[in-house]
Amino acid sequence: MVMIALVMALSVPTQPYVPDMGVQLAMAAPDPVGAPAIPAGAQIAPAAAQPAVAADPAPAPVPPVTPEGAAPPVAVVPAPAENAPLQRDPWEKTNRTIFAGNEAVDHAVLGPIAHVYVAIIPRFLRDRISGILSNLDEPLVALNDLLQGHLDRFGQATARFITNSTVGLGGMFDVAAAHHLPRRDADFGQTLGRWGLKPGPYVMLPLLGPSNLRDSVGRVVDFAADPPGWIFGGFLSTFGASRVSANTVKARVAADPAIKAMRDATDPYATARSAYAQARSATVRDTTGQAETLPDFGAP
Amino acid sequence: MNFSKLAPLTLVSSALMAVTATGVATMPTAALAQGAARDTQAEAYVDSSARHVLGVLNNRSIDTASRRQAFHNLVGELIDWPRLTHFVLGKYGRTATPDQYQRFAGIYRTYNEGIYQRRIDDYKGLRAVVTGSVVRRPGDVIVRTMLSGAPGQQPTELSWRVLGGGNSWKVVDVQVKGVWLAITQQQDFVSTIDNGGGRIDTLTNQLAQDNQHKH
Repeated sequence: MVMIALVMALSVPTQPYVPDMGVQLAMAAPDPVGAPAIPAGAQIAPAAAQPAVAADPAPAPVPPVTPEGAAPPVAVVPAPAENAPLQRDPWEKTNRTIFAGNEAVDHAVLGPIAHVYVAIIPRFLRDRISGILSNLDEPLVALNDLLQGHLDRFGQATARFITNSTVGLGGMFDVAAAHHLPRRDADFGQTLGRWGLKPGPYVMLPLLGPSNLRDSVGRVVDFAADPPGWIFGGFLSTFGASRVSANTVKARVAADPAIKAMRDATDPYATARSAYAQARSATVRDTTGQAETLPDFGAP
Repeated sequence: MNFSKLAPLTLVSSALMAVTATGVATMPTAALAQGAARDTQAEAYVDSSARHVLGVLNNRSIDTASRRQAFHNLVGELIDWPRLTHFVLGKYGRTATPDQYQRFAGIYRTYNEGIYQRRIDDYKGLRAVVTGSVVRRPGDVIVRTMLSGAPGQQPTELSWRVLGGGNSWKVVDVQVKGVWLAITQQQDFVSTIDNGGGRIDTLTNQLAQDNQHKH
């Protein structure tokens, strides 16, 4: 709790880098808090395959919806294309500068705070805090599910929120998950993707980390529309500020394996950009049901 | 999951798909392999491979050096190193001289194995269960597994991309939460070479340095 108070003083909404990359790159243990531990409004991925040069076929006007639980469709590509499509990055120079700044802040401040938090607060307690925070994000998830037209998911998120808030003691225990209501994420950037908006250029946000034009807008909308924010006060209130700070630490702890793996890469900036773009693409495909286009592994 | 509720939705979307499929401008040239077949042989291969790999990494009865060697041998058989090595170089795969390529290949393999070996403690108690597969095209299958057993963490889905056929398969890529390892590496490496004046040795040297520091 001392740590939370310390972080409160910062009161800066900070979004670490792609949390999942570390798991993926390092074959490390699965993501610490189950799903990507990203606060409300976090960005995930651009729509499927944004090649830097070639014209990308526009998404079909009404994307086919995969039944829940079915294997996501995978495109059968007739002609070999050996290079994975690149995230557009016309502002690369500026982005790299901001990235360097973010890394410096992380090394100096956020990283150490997160490591001390893990060292001092026992796992059981951290999981309970994490549960409360995730539960507070559920209304926004439900809202986005609704806007995406997924009534079933909207129902599930609502049921999760009610169950975990009551039986789960304010969100501390994810009782709903044990009843076939797993946690899901949904954000407005994903909703915009569902509505057909492409991600646009890559954007490295100061302190908040990787994003793209579409998802940055989504993040702002999520922040403004967040239901607990209306009820208990926005992030200038005590509740809001503590929540943002706590979410910051939580997300940074969850992202630790990913950040380590990113720093192991030969070009951390490019690695983060690639992983972020892929993750976001998957998130949007999750809501549109579109096929994943994959490059070929041609004959060596 | 109540599929009957979703049936009308999929009927409608299937009909729309059929209609829009004629509009080539809006549909990608790739046909959607929706409801694509599973490949049980590929699944069986991934099942036993995952078991072997986790078995080796979890084996505390042998010393670290032996475990490393066992892992090295196993991974040598499981992964299609030639294809993977060529792939991660991206556009530079074709411009590399044979010497540059050979040098890169050896160092890259050490680098990749090192990534997994360094996190050996993270694999304690991990189990992988095959949950299904999608045939991308004949000989190119994505097998899905569920990784569980990590303390205090929810199970994570891990996808394996395998190439081959019958009983003979090789792994070329793995994916967690939408992110593919080889694709990410390709973009990392190509960027490094781009910024190194197009010289592959820039990348190879950096990987060699990493290998030295970490081992």
